[in-house]
Amino acid sequence: MTLFDLAKNNVARNLSRYALYVGTTIFSIIIYFTFATLKHSGEISALAETSKQIGGLMSASTFILLIFVALFIAYSNAFFLRGRKREVGLYSLLGVRKKQIGQLLLFENLVIGAVSRVIGIGLGGVGANALLYVLLRLMNSDLSIGFAFSGSALVETFLVFLGIFLFTSFQGYRVIYRFKLIELFHADKQGEDVPKANALAALGGVVTLGVAYWLALQDLTSPLWRVLSLAMPLVIIGLTVVGSALLFHSVLIFILGRMKANERWSWRRLNMLTTSQLLYRIRGNAKTLTLISIISATAITAGGAIFSMYYYAEENVTSFTPYTFAWEGEARPIDADVLAEATVLKKTVRLPDAYGEREYGLIDESTYRDVTGGLGWEEPAALRGNEVRLVDPFYDERFSEDVDAVEIEGTTYPVSERIGDTPLNVMTFGGIFLVARDDVYDAITAEEVAYQAVKVDDYKEQGALSERLSTETSFSSATELYRDTMAMNGALLFVGSFLGLVFLVATGSVIYFKTMTEAEEDRAKYAVLRKVGISKRDIRQTVRQQIAVVFLAPYALGLLHATVALIAFSNMLAMDFTVPVVVWMAVYSAVYAVYYVVTVRRFTKSVL
Amino acid sequence: MESLLQVNHIEKTYGKGGTTFKALDDVSFSIDHGEFVGIMGPSGAGKSTLLNVLATIDTPTQGDILVDGENIAKLDEESLSDFRRDHLGFIFQDYNLLDSLTVRENILLPLAVSKTPVEETRSRVDALAKRFGLNQILDQYPYQISGGQKQRTAVCRALISNPKLIFADEPTGALDSKSATDLLHTLAGLNEAETTIMMVTHDAYAASFCRRVLYIQDGRLSKELIRGATSRDAFYEAILEELKGGASDDAL
Repeated sequence: MTLFDLAKNNVARNLSRYALYVGTTIFSIIIYFTFATLKHSGEISALAETSKQIGGLMSASTFILLIFVALFIAYSNAFFLRGRKREVGLYSLLGVRKKQIGQLLLFENLVIGAVSRVIGIGLGGVGANALLYVLLRLMNSDLSIGFAFSGSALVETFLVFLGIFLFTSFQGYRVIYRFKLIELFHADKQGEDVPKANALAALGGVVTLGVAYWLALQDLTSPLWRVLSLAMPLVIIGLTVVGSALLFHSVLIFILGRMKANERWSWRRLNMLTTSQLLYRIRGNAKTLTLISIISATAITAGGAIFSMYYYAEENVTSFTPYTFAWEGEARPIDADVLAEATVLKKTVRLPDAYGEREYGLIDESTYRDVTGGLGWEEPAALRGNEVRLVDPFYDERFSEDVDAVEIEGTTYPVSERIGDTPLNVMTFGGIFLVARDDVYDAITAEEVAYQAVKVDDYKEQGALSERLSTETSFSSATELYRDTMAMNGALLFVGSFLGLVFLVATGSVIYFKTMTEAEEDRAKYAVLRKVGISKRDIRQTVRQQIAVVFLAPYALGLLHATVALIAFSNMLAMDFTVPVVVWMAVYSAVYAVYYVVTVRRFTKSVL
Repeated sequence: MESLLQVNHIEKTYGKGGTTFKALDDVSFSIDHGEFVGIMGPSGAGKSTLLNVLATIDTPTQGDILVDGENIAKLDEESLSDFRRDHLGFIFQDYNLLDSLTVRENILLPLAVSKTPVEETRSRVDALAKRFGLNQILDQYPYQISGGQKQRTAVCRALISNPKLIFADEPTGALDSKSATDLLHTLAGLNEAETTIMMVTHDAYAASFCRRVLYIQDGRLSKELIRGATSRDAFYEAILEELKGGASDDAL
């Protein structure tokens, strides 16, 4: 029997175990190839040319994906090899040389790699086209789509995975040399000592996480930001990772130990089995659980932030360009349903501030009344005497200086109120301006410029009109801004959801793999339970509970991390993320729950 | 007096269509309260199948099994589990202890599931542990104790719910000869204290501790030996004699 025959029979006999591993690698390749195809596709390249951000975004995302996919495959390969230590030990015991076993595994992995590449690239090609369609829809692009196939994506994917498989193959080859025969036979027995809770480490975990959260929720103006500056995010992330690890290493064990010690609770039904099983596994799984909580946190945070941006994109457009079009100069004919239009006369004054000089626009009260009325805003209060109203859309209480009065041409004008929402397009009129009574305005001698502001119905669809007006001086267009915003945020949303999905599938799969391997080890245990008269219902219950803890613990922690991070972000950007974030978390949790249900079902089927 | 266990014409067939195999063929016998019955026979004779069927782990293709008049062959899945837990005790060759539970927890597992109050559970575990010399190791884990201690833990687990009948499947198979003899004396002692035991074994020495030995071959009961008033040594000789006859059949 040649080594080749041995390898062949090996695969045939352990098909289910191989299926999991091959499934993972194929999945990774599909994902990567899909993404590479999108990156190289004509449509995206065209978009990337017009928008540097999209190009950069795609490259950065590909890189993240590459790292991630490599880690994921390396992990499942290590996992796969560990399950086979006994088999390797048996070969070794039968006198097969380590070199030959190594070659066997190397050869096997290279074959698996080749097969996965062929299948993955085939399926990825189909998936890419479906996703391309979704992407263009999200970006509100009306580009027509043909079947996209990219040679360079094919080559890129092929080379990347050739590299990854070469790496994992040699990793496997090395494993054989590192292990001693006795260890190979005891591979599954490791971690059998029931862990003792270390109260100090448990406390340390809680404190570390508390500090990380506290730091994350510090305002940008806090002295801590000044001291740590750019290192701040790194410190927060570092503390979060350490805290999470300690949490799984000690806090969870501490809690489970306490639960088990409470006999009234633990001596009821299979509670003591549930806690024992968890305790028994948890230390070996602490690293994985930490990893999963961090990945989940990353995916939920990034997805939540991106989805919030997308969610508020339209609101942003209307707040920056309340009038559909605005420009400097004469009125132009508008061939659309005009909802409101105004000619705005604006003077520009320069006023000293803390950093030197700042330019303010100045308009009179009747014009202000006119433009806000056109937008359907509430009637503004009348100004008295020398009072002026300050409109500043960029005001931020943390950084902006409060202006109580302004001095123009020797006269001091008290500021009666400050308004955050501007009724005038920021790109045409500049952000900040003052409103003064008509007679006060007339008395100021600064040069006056005439502007036009037009609001039309159905502003998103005015591409042609926008194009025609675009040659005007200081032109601003809500139509154009909306299109750019959607292109950018749509691409972001797509990439974000795509990576989020990949992370989600990866975390779900990792827990699934782990749990199913445990199912194999536990089969005898559950058979004993059946023999001593424990009903299937009780066994199902303990299985559900055990898997729930393994699924829920890292996810709940990830969710908590993400919540803190998103609160920090929303404070920083002064935006309310609640609605989009809750929606996003609900979707993410729903998919995660599906993983849980499937895992419970497979586990139960495997042990009963 | 009514028998504790009454087995009526049970049959167990494996496989479907043309390639069926009859593991048990028209087996009938009964065990009375307080008996200690051994089941012997060569490998593949149907010993384990018989035990599994009697223990409600497997169901017979045909026939009835009555325990205290209740037909367990007709019970549904859930009631079977309850029945097994409350009325039957099991001792296995490989102990079948759960390695993530302490000795104490292994013993009390059946009580936990039947929702026995904590105080009662504790006193019953302590009493049994004391009787079997396990009270020093109650908080240790199975991998920390010896084979004999493991098997005594298994015996305690089998006894904790005061079962009507104890099934022992090659209980001495994995023990050294001293531990095995200790265990057999323990079982014989239990029997004297009115516990009914059915033990499957291929070992004549172990079987000689029984009051009665049923010999099974090719799925049928072929012979019954009763110890009666003879000494254990004499009974051992008788069993060996019987086995020699069986062995010559086996060789064919």
